[in-house]
Amino acid sequence: MAASKPSTSTDPNTNIPDYEYTDVNSNIFHIGSFREEWLNRLKPSNYSYEQEHEDTFDANFAQEMGIGADTMADLKSVCSLDSLRCHPVDQPPDTDFVPPDPTLRTLIQRKKKQDHRASLKICKNRHDLYADELERLTVGRKPEEEADMVPEGEVVLTINVYYPATFEKFTYVRPHVTLLMTGSHSLAELRDAICCVSDLQVCGEFSNTPDMAPDFISKDHYKSAFFYFEGVFYNDMRYPECQDISITTIEWAKTRNFPAYSQAKMEDTRFVDLKLKVGFPYLYCHQGDCEHLVIITDIRLTHENDCLDKKLYPLLTHKHRVTTQKCAVCHVYIGRWFTTDDQFAPSDPCLFCDKCFRMLHYDAEGNKLGEFLAYPYVDRGAFN
Amino acid sequence: MSVKGFKEMDFYRKQVRSDCVELLSRFQKTDSVRFEVFSNIWREMKFSHIFYGTLNREKRAFSRLILDTAYSFFLPPFSFQIRVGGLYLLYCLYQCQTASPPEQIRLALKDWLDLSKFEKDAVDAQHLDAVYILRQLMFQKAFNFTAMPTVLVYKKKRKVEKSAPCEEFMERATRPQELINIELLEELSNIHELYGNLKSSVSLTSEQADPSFNLVRKDLIPQLRSTVMDFYKWQQRKDGTDEDEDSDEGTSSKQECSKRAELIASIKSKAFGEAAEAPKSRRHRQVEVNQTNYEAGPSHSSGYSRRNKPSLKTRTNENLYISGDLWKEVTTATHISRLTTLDFVRKEKPKEYKKFKW
Repeated sequence: MAASKPSTSTDPNTNIPDYEYTDVNSNIFHIGSFREEWLNRLKPSNYSYEQEHEDTFDANFAQEMGIGADTMADLKSVCSLDSLRCHPVDQPPDTDFVPPDPTLRTLIQRKKKQDHRASLKICKNRHDLYADELERLTVGRKPEEEADMVPEGEVVLTINVYYPATFEKFTYVRPHVTLLMTGSHSLAELRDAICCVSDLQVCGEFSNTPDMAPDFISKDHYKSAFFYFEGVFYNDMRYPECQDISITTIEWAKTRNFPAYSQAKMEDTRFVDLKLKVGFPYLYCHQGDCEHLVIITDIRLTHENDCLDKKLYPLLTHKHRVTTQKCAVCHVYIGRWFTTDDQFAPSDPCLFCDKCFRMLHYDAEGNKLGEFLAYPYVDRGAFN
Repeated sequence: MSVKGFKEMDFYRKQVRSDCVELLSRFQKTDSVRFEVFSNIWREMKFSHIFYGTLNREKRAFSRLILDTAYSFFLPPFSFQIRVGGLYLLYCLYQCQTASPPEQIRLALKDWLDLSKFEKDAVDAQHLDAVYILRQLMFQKAFNFTAMPTVLVYKKKRKVEKSAPCEEFMERATRPQELINIELLEELSNIHELYGNLKSSVSLTSEQADPSFNLVRKDLIPQLRSTVMDFYKWQQRKDGTDEDEDSDEGTSSKQECSKRAELIASIKSKAFGEAAEAPKSRRHRQVEVNQTNYEAGPSHSSGYSRRNKPSLKTRTNENLYISGDLWKEVTTATHISRLTTLDFVRKEKPKEYKKFKW
């Protein structure tokens, strides 16, 4: 196949992102060129991780603006943090509560919510407590060795990978995983970082041999996958078993006068080589038909408050929690088997944990009782 | 950031924006660009308190929201004073936020040019406090250098709530002043003088004052200057009588609207007064004129009144009567766990959690 890569446009304006639709998505730009544009405009001290000394800054500022020491001292005192304090020095306020008699509209609204929360009996909410636990673990982390430091001026992408849509019922919640990746990562590394329970499925029926360990999971059988960004399909061709599963779509589009699509390898493509839109939905397809929306929500230069340990990337900062399915008998353990055509089961199909499954369907010697079909089940919340 | 965080912050957005507008309005009235004046207003309003009361994860989400809101005031098309106020607001919010580590100000690549121009203007005008604060923010690494001003998740809103930007914050049109400035007038004056000299020298040579040489007006430059001054004065005068003009326009447009509405209403009443004859295939569904509605008045007349049939579900619920608790249990879905419960215990009433209405 032709490994055509998107070439950098000679028009410099195409590398300065702007809104295509306001607050929806940006126009197409090249990520590597975007980074170069920023680095050309900034001084190295702007994106450095080192903090300059205050006195050096003051001296440089005074010299550049041509002012004396007295003027500089006055300026510093006027712009100091003390001028922003809204409370007496000896009375530090409690920042966890809205102060009494607020005048700002935001505080008036927040006070209503605070009073409502106080009226509830529930004092702790686990969802609120652990909502940002992944982010808290890694913010501002530094590596132990200097060689593992993310280089200064590196590009960081925030990528939302959405769970496949189910249309059984409408919901405003869009379950997704949020990953941070640097521009030097390849698409194959993004593919490996995406967790999906489709990869963990086990093929085959095991009612006669429940103790036999499965040889393969779906990921081992079906290694092929692709990303789709701006008219280019990036296929995973790292293993000999991998196929080009995007050719089906390309051939289909060709017969219907769609614009021509091109192909590339995801292991050879880095994020800085891509041309795409921020905030626009793209596609990740694996296991043949398991489709995930991929939205790059943010692209920026690294900051000293980011996680600077290169080994921790791709970095997971948000993960949606899926409700687990419990066993139909004990309601305690997560379902590991589901059966069909089962005379013992209250429903068809029915979920069982391993313990209840064996006690209900097999005798003490392990012989099968009755007629049923049993398949291994992987809970949808396996990656919780 | 979780979905819930996003959703909650949407409700704060309007309030946050109005608070920022209030602060910048007060700053605008002072006609000053001094940080001392701004910090006075900040202390007066106790604006630091805006971060109090946020819990845990909300701290970061709220910081993100209010910094994005303040950032929009720092960019054109707002006037220079408002932009200075926006810069001061960003500085104060960044310093006073309770999120740890602090949330950065997002600076988009497309806005860098505006920032550079702003800094150059401030340096040229010797606004030391504005330049100092901008440099301080850079020095303290308060900026994230991003592609877009906000995080984008392809969120298309059904109701497009386009809050019109405050017109008082906009700079009024100054194109004539910018174009016809002192330097241009000076240059034009020089060229005019040179042209006059050249013309007189040529005229002397030919010893004849040809009227065809008079191609330009003698008093061009003074007239141009006085025209620009007149425009400026007219602009000043127009602002003062803005309300009167608005009310006059409103009155005249109201009269026009009401006249047109009356005409349309009369046409409609005529049309609805006569029942349309149904085609042959639909002769069994003749349209009947509702006489009762016709009496109410021409503007409320609606000739067509077709009864809406209730849905099958509604009709079934109305006609079918099931007594006692049996009906309740039939309508509610059960859980699979109840199928294997030994004791047949009736389901408890589901707990009703009262939700907070924003």
